Amino acid sequence: MKSSADPQAHYRPKPKWYSRFIPKRIKQRWGRWLNKRIPPNKLVTLTHKSIFILPSGFGLAWFVLIGVLYLFGTNYQNNLVIGLSLLLASVLHTCIIYSYKNLAGLTLTSQVPPETHANQNMAFPVSLSSKINKNNSHTSHQQICLNFAEQRHIRLTEVGESTHATIAFSPQARGEFNPGRIQVSSNFPLGLFRAWSYVDLDINHIIYAEPLNTQVSLTSLDDDNTSEFDHGKLQPGVDDYKGLKTYVEGESLKQVAWKQWAQGRGMLTKEFAQPEGKPVWLSLDDTQGTNIEQKLSKLAWQVNALSQSQQIFGLALHQDVIEQDSGEAHRKQCQQLIALFVKSKFAKPKHSHSKNSKSNDRGADEI
Amino acid sequence: MRFKKSAPQTTSSNDSFNDDFNENISRNTLFWLLLTNVLVLSPLYQDATLWSIGICAICFVWRVGIYLGKVAAPPKLLVTSLAIGAAATLALVAKEIGMLNALVNLLLLGYALKYIEMRQIRDVKVVVLVGYFLIAFALLERQGMLDAVHLLFVCVINACVLISVYQHSSKKVNLSFGFKVFLQSLPLALLLFVVFPRLPPLWLAPSMKNATTGISDEISLGDISKLTRSPSLAFRVGFDNEVNNTTKQQLIANEQLYWRALVMESYDGQTWKQANLRKNEQRSAYGNRSQRHDSQVVDKSSALNYQVITEPTYQKWLFGLDQSFSETEQVVELADLRLFSLRNIDQRFSYRVTSFPNSSLEEQLPPLTKRINLSLPKDTNPKAHALAQQFATDYPIPRDRIAAMMRYFNQQSFYYTLSPPAIGSNQVDDFLFENQAGFCSHYASALVFMARSSGIPARMVAGYQGGEYNPKAGYYSVYQYMAHAWTEVWLEGLGWVRFDPTAMIAPDRILDGFDAMFTGEDSYLQDSPFTSLRVKEIPWLNDIRLQLASLDFYWSVWVLGFDEERQLQVLSELLGEVNTSKIIILMIISFSIIALVIAYYAGVFNLSPKQDPIIKRYNLICNKLANKGYQRETMPPQAFATFIHQAVHQEQPQLAADFDKMTEHFIALQYQPLSDKQIEQHQTLFKRYFRKVKMGL
Repeated sequence: MKSSADPQAHYRPKPKWYSRFIPKRIKQRWGRWLNKRIPPNKLVTLTHKSIFILPSGFGLAWFVLIGVLYLFGTNYQNNLVIGLSLLLASVLHTCIIYSYKNLAGLTLTSQVPPETHANQNMAFPVSLSSKINKNNSHTSHQQICLNFAEQRHIRLTEVGESTHATIAFSPQARGEFNPGRIQVSSNFPLGLFRAWSYVDLDINHIIYAEPLNTQVSLTSLDDDNTSEFDHGKLQPGVDDYKGLKTYVEGESLKQVAWKQWAQGRGMLTKEFAQPEGKPVWLSLDDTQGTNIEQKLSKLAWQVNALSQSQQIFGLALHQDVIEQDSGEAHRKQCQQLIALFVKSKFAKPKHSHSKNSKSNDRGADEI
Repeated sequence: MRFKKSAPQTTSSNDSFNDDFNENISRNTLFWLLLTNVLVLSPLYQDATLWSIGICAICFVWRVGIYLGKVAAPPKLLVTSLAIGAAATLALVAKEIGMLNALVNLLLLGYALKYIEMRQIRDVKVVVLVGYFLIAFALLERQGMLDAVHLLFVCVINACVLISVYQHSSKKVNLSFGFKVFLQSLPLALLLFVVFPRLPPLWLAPSMKNATTGISDEISLGDISKLTRSPSLAFRVGFDNEVNNTTKQQLIANEQLYWRALVMESYDGQTWKQANLRKNEQRSAYGNRSQRHDSQVVDKSSALNYQVITEPTYQKWLFGLDQSFSETEQVVELADLRLFSLRNIDQRFSYRVTSFPNSSLEEQLPPLTKRINLSLPKDTNPKAHALAQQFATDYPIPRDRIAAMMRYFNQQSFYYTLSPPAIGSNQVDDFLFENQAGFCSHYASALVFMARSSGIPARMVAGYQGGEYNPKAGYYSVYQYMAHAWTEVWLEGLGWVRFDPTAMIAPDRILDGFDAMFTGEDSYLQDSPFTSLRVKEIPWLNDIRLQLASLDFYWSVWVLGFDEERQLQVLSELLGEVNTSKIIILMIISFSIIALVIAYYAGVFNLSPKQDPIIKRYNLICNKLANKGYQRETMPPQAFATFIHQAVHQEQPQLAADFDKMTEHFIALQYQPLSDKQIEQHQTLFKRYFRKVKMGL
């Protein structure tokens, strides 16, 4: 069992070769039909309604073998060879039932996916369970393969009472993201048939903007005028700055030198003549960057950095403002705002917009 | 109820999605492959050339090495060059060893080489498919009942290779699942076997090249005595009108069982051969399947219908009584009144025959046939020739003359022996006047010679005489040692008439069969110490032998010889009048019944686990208590028992006590680790208190 050599390596989705011969209209119609037949749900149990079974490539080879053996038996007028070919044909029939049995009753439940940012490999956790009779070892679910359309798969050699799996998805752009339907498939028992199903676990995931390492640049806020932004940058310690000293536990986190921390020089405290810090704002307009995505990435990094130091900060993306606060919930709120920031209000960035919108409605065009 | 919680194993692959072809082969699969390799190849050892066996053995040993982790997989270049070398060598020797043997060897080598260079699951699948093909090859030559069971077992093991790819369990689980799948497939296979149409051969496929067995198309005088040393089965015959015979008596006398196989019309002084005319007829039989017409047959009332199941002879001639006809595909009726197969009998072959023993054979003799059957080598056997002339003058009527010749054998001091003294170049003279000792072919040869030289058309017929009747199944077994030669003489108005001079010297041989004349030890048992025919003298062992033989006979008739006619017979017994729609309905119904049964055993209908009977009983009591107003809700059993105890022990102290006890055993069964014996004890007590509580409520 080889494990992924480089976890950061980007997986390039491989569309099926026949995928481009299928007209888009048919794909859409197929998607609608699937939505009706197997509606999206957080918990899906596979039944005869949702299981498809067709011969695999090897199954077709098996058919050819049966045909050849029948011809062989006929030409040599050998009833035993004919019998062998018919026995192998009956095995096909038996395998259909076992293929069905192997998926039927399998229940998939979606779990909350871990936080991911853009251009990062994603993993969606799913828990599988079965209502099987444990006294019979043949009745558990064998060799279950899980994957999103055109994505890397994960194979479970056996699904017992309760099994957890994470299904990979290749990196996507920031924003709201629905990975679409999970293909649950199995070639058990002889690999002659592939039984599969498309399960939509109604996963709605928000991909945060990719954090871009930068320095914290905070905008100060006038004490008297809270409703407006102060565009003048706070030059930390220009007047009162005395120097840096090693951080001692218990000291206010507001005085930690985040720039130096970010550079990996450890926790240092800025010594101010007047050590009273002011609440600070992160503002899109004041972030330096070549384009909007870069700016958002820098903001995302700063949000993480400030949250980690439990500093109070607010976020302003043009009109969208999150009041000053600290903590994990605040960080998530800020990251979501950044992730969902609609770019069309401003100059359209060329590279990622189309990609993002595509991934949002991908549920419909899976085959 | 104790469950083992197995830690789920997961694998994810990087570079492939949604297939398993790039995954490494598991150790379990490797084990099954090792086993399959031996099982698939071993039945074919007879057909493999020595060096194919060698290469297979090397590949196997290498694989064992890989399995044990001692050696690495061979380099691809080595395997490729070996494969090309082997294929080229096979192509060169294909002519020599026969096309089919070459094909088998090619497959064997391909199997072995693919086997050794296997890296991916895809390769494993190819090996499995080729394995089934090799099993089919093995079935061509091995058709006994035990062989079939053995090869069915090999089929299951071959499938276990695939199962181990998809089922990560122990080998035992793999094996039992494999058997389950195959046994559940058998009923449908059986049904398909009965219903599926049987087609005639679509083209002439090459056959196995093997040493021929049985009588050959040339008889030197000593040949048949070699066959009398052989205890192996030649063919078996089941007569239609005897199968249902309840008396289990042999109905056809031994002296009537002259199984004609070959007609020898050409004599060069040393050996008897088929005439070129007959050989040409045989050769052109495939293109020109002219069947004989039974218009010649006058007396149709005495028709005998029977089925012959012949063992492989690697020859083409078949066996029939007197003038025989056959409707079986691939069997043609030749002008010399014999049956002939279009292809080599390289496997057990069954055909149906109709014979007319009372009809005359060929009343009008074509001039060419007449000439052939009168010709003799010039200037040989002068004494025999003179004797024949003497007969001709004494008996001008051919019929009388032949009868006199027959009597001659009786009157003179001839004796019958399987090991006659050597004879010189004038075979007939030496036999008739010097040795006066010989066996069937000597006598037949002498009679034909004398008949021909006195101007009567005559010929030698080779085949088998007699048959061992099996009263268990009502059929005749003809063994190689029953090989025989006799004469046919053509008489005006009668056609070819059979004369067997052996009957004059050794009438027991003809009337009661070979065994009455000779003991087995002197003939067919001499060279074969381990044949089952040895037990003939011991009644109860002979009984078992006949029982087993009849089982094998039924197998041959109903499985190996299951042809269109039998198919129709079975189907009409099942369905009455057979038509397509009835068959389709039969198929649909049986398909669904079989599918339902398999689905039931596979556990499709059993998705919700059966509730534990203990829990079921406990819940039943809880429901009854709830009806009385004592709700359990989320109380644990212990707390509920206390609650009930307090509630009812005033009015029904017995019930309260019983329920306490019942709860105690319930908790023990559910939550305590117990030995099997303890479980049993608790269960008994739990059930006892359950009944009491139920009564109390």
